[in-house]
Amino acid sequence: MTELLVKNAYVIDPLRGINAETMDIAILDGKIVEEVSDAAEVIDARGMLTLPGGVDSHTHICGTKVNFGRYMSPEDMRAGRTPRQGPLHATSGYSVPTTYGNSYRYSVMGYTTLLEGAMAPLEARHTHEEFIYTPLQDTMANTLFDGNWAIMEAIRDGDVKRVAAIIGWTLRAVKGFAIKLTNPGGTEAWQWGKNVSCIRDPVPYFEVTPAEIIRSIVEANELLGLPHSVHLHCNNLGTPGNYSCTLGSLGLIPDLNKKRQTLYATHVQFHAYGGSDWKDFCSKSEPIARFVDMRPQIVMDMGQVMFGRTTTMTADGPMEFNLYRLHHEKWSNHDVELETGSGIIPVIYRRKNLVNSIMWAIGLELALLTKSPWQCLLTTDNPNGAPFVKYPEIIGLLMSKKYRDAEFATIHPDTEARVPLPAIERELDWYEIAVMTRAGQAKALGIQDLGKGHLGPGADADVAIYPLKIGEVDPSVDYQKVIDAFSRTEYTIKRGTVVARRGECLVDGSNATFWVRPKVSEAYDMGKDPDFIEKFDRYYTVRMRNYPVQEEYLNRNRCIETEARI
Amino acid sequence: MKVTLAMKPAARSFIPIEAESIVPKNFLDGTDLLVWRGNRELRLDEVFSVSVEGDADRAEDVEVVLSGETSRLKRVGEYMDGGRITILGNIGMHCGNFMSGGTIEVHGNADGWLGREMAGGTIVCRGDAADYCASGYRGGRKGMTGGTVEVFGRAGDFLAESIAGGTVTVHGNAGDMAGAEMRGGTLVVHGDCRRPGANMKEGSCYVYGTAQGMLPTFRKIGTVQHEGHTLIRFAGDIANRGKGNLFVKDYEYLD
Repeated sequence: MTELLVKNAYVIDPLRGINAETMDIAILDGKIVEEVSDAAEVIDARGMLTLPGGVDSHTHICGTKVNFGRYMSPEDMRAGRTPRQGPLHATSGYSVPTTYGNSYRYSVMGYTTLLEGAMAPLEARHTHEEFIYTPLQDTMANTLFDGNWAIMEAIRDGDVKRVAAIIGWTLRAVKGFAIKLTNPGGTEAWQWGKNVSCIRDPVPYFEVTPAEIIRSIVEANELLGLPHSVHLHCNNLGTPGNYSCTLGSLGLIPDLNKKRQTLYATHVQFHAYGGSDWKDFCSKSEPIARFVDMRPQIVMDMGQVMFGRTTTMTADGPMEFNLYRLHHEKWSNHDVELETGSGIIPVIYRRKNLVNSIMWAIGLELALLTKSPWQCLLTTDNPNGAPFVKYPEIIGLLMSKKYRDAEFATIHPDTEARVPLPAIERELDWYEIAVMTRAGQAKALGIQDLGKGHLGPGADADVAIYPLKIGEVDPSVDYQKVIDAFSRTEYTIKRGTVVARRGECLVDGSNATFWVRPKVSEAYDMGKDPDFIEKFDRYYTVRMRNYPVQEEYLNRNRCIETEARI
Repeated sequence: MKVTLAMKPAARSFIPIEAESIVPKNFLDGTDLLVWRGNRELRLDEVFSVSVEGDADRAEDVEVVLSGETSRLKRVGEYMDGGRITILGNIGMHCGNFMSGGTIEVHGNADGWLGREMAGGTIVCRGDAADYCASGYRGGRKGMTGGTVEVFGRAGDFLAESIAGGTVTVHGNAGDMAGAEMRGGTLVVHGDCRRPGANMKEGSCYVYGTAQGMLPTFRKIGTVQHEGHTLIRFAGDIANRGKGNLFVKDYEYLD
């Protein structure tokens, strides 16, 4: 029995409606409890800002795609090197660091839960193996269903229950957490050397449209009763004028769930572009934010771009090919059999580049124009927009108009005529930042009932204490202090253990992996469906019995059982 | 100030010694330096007999002389910005990495990566240089950006790969892929080499001997006179719209 008492914590806990109260947090055996005995170890937080552990609801940290990013960018491994030290492993890399590098750097910033944004089902083992070596965060994986042959056939036949059954079987087999659609239909079209331009283009051979894929899978998601909603990377990423396609996709979504959103639209910055080509490229953050304001069924994340070197990686293969044709640098392209694909290229976002400057502004605009912070979460689509170590700077930008103006003065001078950012006065407050970096993310992922994203009794004891007294700092002026504090916690507590202290990680740790097992009726068990089995064995390069990821691949196994309505 | 480092015969080992601390300016504060052998850190005087004559206030006035069996001594002169290093014998890999000033003279042969990613200064190698002389590094966009490298013997493969500035001269033959991915600077090979200038974007590459396995993606322009040689001028590499200049005395395409 280990007990810990955090005294005099200045707590913001949005999921419980607590906004800046001084209180004590009692921890017993990794869980938050009402009280502990006098024998408990005491940490005096001395009035410092104390938040639930950070949750990143969209990041690319583990799996084949991330690892190929490492493989093709040996130059990236020359940055961020730290030697082995005590229980800590050596790390290296900047935009695609080693798993330990990711884990330690997230931990120092107070993050305790991460969602890998895209796991190809066929390559799930690799993701789970890397999760094991991401020791200081609990993890879960979005599973890609954007170009799944069996699902597209079921959609063509109009059988949503079968769509749900295939998803249920696959999630269970690969130990996935939620459904990810990356350029739905587009990556499959890419296997034919094509793409889809928006939601009404049919996918070659299957003759279903992205709109049909999105609608059917959203419905299937609710049939399965999954904790998270469908996680959508819209079609047409990164092209001028794509905002209308984004609005069309978001407009497909009914409100089907009382507890959470029905659609999570990810890295919307990349989908909020106006203009007809790169010459008249401009921001369309306003129509998107207004559209989302009116629809509680939609939550999005920023996908903020920050200047500097990074690596773009996505299952959106055709988009990466277009990017390659712009940059003419190294490029990787990957096909995942009956499921999806991917592409990777390293990029540098530059202040002197007009397009990059506009992209930088759009992400911030989305966060500032969306009324509710619960509907626009803070991410960079790590590492696509920027490595996650830039989050503190983004917090600084969102909290300070002065900082935004200072940065704006350094970017391409023509940006002003293309974006609404200079006219936005709003400065987010501490509560809103707490929503955007943990509470809102936990709620959107549907993991607050599993004890994530809040500090109520029964919750996992994941706590971040930042060296900052919010009464003494005016974030609109002292933004540098805000950035410094969010870059380095005073204490990061994970499952009741202090794992990081003042920028130093202290323990090796051991992560837990959350995954979903929907309970479906016998009739919808795809493991016994003759047609599914026959096609699986005919088209995959692996046998069906070798496909499921064994539970030995999970460190701490947190299975979420759901009651499916099929 | 002259610092003489004579490698102790007893210090010879199969495991190379990483000696990035052997840089002239480090000796301004004495000879209390450390080097690595595998995962063990050693004092300089455990590996070398160290002697110092005179004193100096600036790195420019320091000369380091290395003698003995130094062919497995790596990273000598890394990030050097002034002064002089003289190596009487052979030197190991990565000599003069990232160097920005001063002079390194190697009397023997240099192993791979001599003057990798150097930005300035001078390297003279009296013997042969192995592969990746004056080149970039794995995955990097730019190699050497400035300074001068002169090799009096032969050079290995990937000579001046990704060079973006500065001058590299080899008096003997060079190996395969000389000046690959070149994007600036000047490469001169007095002897023969294979497949020069592959995928070059900018810069000038001169081959006073024969270019073997000449790439078909260079457009022949005509003959020019250059420092007493009659050379055939090519433009390319047109495979990726490169604007480089390749001059060769003679060339042979692959059969």
